[in-house]
Amino acid sequence: MKLRFDDSVEAFRAEFLEWLAVNRPPAEAIEADPPRSSAYIPEWAASFTRRMFDDGWLVPGWPPERGGRNAGPIETLVYLEELNKANVPRTTNPQGLGIIAPSLLDYGTEEQIENYAMPLLRGETSACLGMSEPDAGSDLANLKTRAVRDGDNFIINGQKVWTSGANFADFCFLFCRTDPDAPKHKGISIVLMPMDTPGVTVRPLTEIISPEYPDLNEVFLDDVVLPVSNLVGELNNGWAMANGSLAHERSMVWLMGVMGMESSMNELLAEAPALLASLSAAEQATAADDIAGLYIDTVASRCLGYRGFARYVKTGSAPEQALMKMYSTEIRRDLLQIAAELRGPAALPTGLSRHGAVGSLDAYFTTFGGTISAGSSEIQRNIVAERVLGLPRG
Amino acid sequence: MDLELSDDQFELRDNIRSVLEGACPPSVVRAVYEGQGTSAELWQQMVELYWPALGVAEDAGGLGMGFVEVGLLAEELGRAAAPGPLLAMVTQYIPMVEAAGAADPLAAAIAGETIGALAYAENGRWEPAAVAASAEGSGDAWSVTGTKGAVLGGANADVFAVVARTAEGLGVFLVERSDAAVDVPALLDPGLELADLEFAAAPATVLLAPGPDAEAVIDAVASQASVAMALHVIGACRRIFEVTLDYAKVREQYDRVIGSFQALKHRFAEMYLAVERANAVGYYAALAIAEDAPDRAEAVHVAKAAAGDCQRLLAQDGLQLHGGIGYTWENDLHFLLKRAKSGDVLCGGRGFHRARLAALLGLGEAA
Repeated sequence: MKLRFDDSVEAFRAEFLEWLAVNRPPAEAIEADPPRSSAYIPEWAASFTRRMFDDGWLVPGWPPERGGRNAGPIETLVYLEELNKANVPRTTNPQGLGIIAPSLLDYGTEEQIENYAMPLLRGETSACLGMSEPDAGSDLANLKTRAVRDGDNFIINGQKVWTSGANFADFCFLFCRTDPDAPKHKGISIVLMPMDTPGVTVRPLTEIISPEYPDLNEVFLDDVVLPVSNLVGELNNGWAMANGSLAHERSMVWLMGVMGMESSMNELLAEAPALLASLSAAEQATAADDIAGLYIDTVASRCLGYRGFARYVKTGSAPEQALMKMYSTEIRRDLLQIAAELRGPAALPTGLSRHGAVGSLDAYFTTFGGTISAGSSEIQRNIVAERVLGLPRG
Repeated sequence: MDLELSDDQFELRDNIRSVLEGACPPSVVRAVYEGQGTSAELWQQMVELYWPALGVAEDAGGLGMGFVEVGLLAEELGRAAAPGPLLAMVTQYIPMVEAAGAADPLAAAIAGETIGALAYAENGRWEPAAVAASAEGSGDAWSVTGTKGAVLGGANADVFAVVARTAEGLGVFLVERSDAAVDVPALLDPGLELADLEFAAAPATVLLAPGPDAEAVIDAVASQASVAMALHVIGACRRIFEVTLDYAKVREQYDRVIGSFQALKHRFAEMYLAVERANAVGYYAALAIAEDAPDRAEAVHVAKAAAGDCQRLLAQDGLQLHGGIGYTWENDLHFLLKRAKSGDVLCGGRGFHRARLAALLGLGEAA
């Protein structure tokens, strides 16, 4: 155990900070055109992605020709820390950069890499992840969208839902059933689907906060024809690839939860004395205890995350990481609830600028995006119980 | 920042664990509970292994290990619900004697010739402001008057390091057992060997001369003791978790093991989180102490408060999910339950540390 990183890691951090100071997108540009959907690419984001790609800062762990510099996992951690601290969005298409591009690099053909992955990495396009369906939410392997082989094409019919960014994405990384007779995990394949293909209809789902900026969508697929060459990896191997792709994301995604919690906590601590001043002594004691509890969770999520990361780097797996998704999303929800309660009626105004604001109820509601999506907290508890603790499925 | 134990630290932990599995199985704990045995033999074995000297500097005759390693020992002792004075010696008395630079008492303590206990808390309060015991005198001739409660390891101690108030501030004074009135109440967990002490102008010598420097040392030793106690509680809790999980994998009802019911799975996930959460902040605090991190004061309170959260859930669900068998004296579970609950109220309880943390965060008056 040690508190500090090695000097070489700190030198890497300094190098990135120097680059970031020169190349970060201007705050005014971000404010004027904020990242309002998970596949909308504002002009400042496109050019920032391109600069990161060209200078090897997009995915530091990758080779230079793919936007990296062959950095190690600890250097990558430090890089993500600094982007978060600087409050610079690394991407406005997290599924594209975090899951779809790496999956294509792992499993795609040269042509797919050239035509789909590289434009994503250069900030020219964005992509969405077509996984959930009306009857395949937590039980994702139950998906029913069918792809039927017809000569050199697949004919695709079905429906996706909760598809983040489908209303802005250029293409979809689509999960569909290619063998209806196989056990449900074994008959799934992945197909690349340009969103302008005839037969694709996107219907945005307005959300409980800021309905004017929808991110989730229904996607209807009616006799969509795609060439067989759009199949990613092997036929019927989609489930295994999905687990591989998501693992890319999980090895680092914990850090976003930790740093989001820390920045919310710092904001709350900065405002707390003023908020507490107007309370009675009894209310102050309750509020102080609530905040102390949240502070413990903030420290704990950081310690669990960094310990799990160290274990992951050393051994290739870490049971902590299974806990981090449910833990970090739930404590952030709790923090924003307590912060809003402390603020009283001042928590009630609503609007886009208040999404991340500690103490607005807007921010509280948006935290459910974390606890529900990408495997709800309840599914995470099952995963922990079954895969980490070895309790039988039942 | 690397918050994972090193290979050497893992090896030390495994060594301690395997020694304790041999020397301190539940039957040894049970013998102490039932008055059929004492902790003396176990203590002797630990002295022979130099465990009392684990965290003492090498030039003072110790093994020279850091505070993280001391924490590992405290955790493993909790896991075994070990009876005897080692926890008190390693995490309270010996650090105080070493910090005071008292070579002879230190040598006697690590050689196992003297068993000592730190007498700090009064009326259950683990804080300087609660110290009402007073000391008067000068040079080598002092006397101590007052009471101390729930002194860890006090039941079998030969000497007490007593924190007492003087005109110059707090100091620490050594009082021989024969000069104190020692009351050993019947306890939920007899292995902790707690004692209540009363001193009526008891003859004393100076261990740590009173004044601001002494108060800083007392604070540092008390902080370390709090973190060690947190890890001790966590050790007991992790063992509760393991035995409860094992039980849920074999106990069948309705023709299936009870661990296959989702209602229980989710509770196991919660328990696992509570243990890992407390463990992560517990060792972070140990590291913060070992490396003197700027946030060490916060980290100490976070650690003991999180251990408090952990024992609340683990003692409760550990017993509840065992069902009737966990409610029996014959089952070994209760040794761990009682150790976890007892450890929470020692060195400042959950509420105390949360309040101190809130004060450090600028959210209220210091308790």
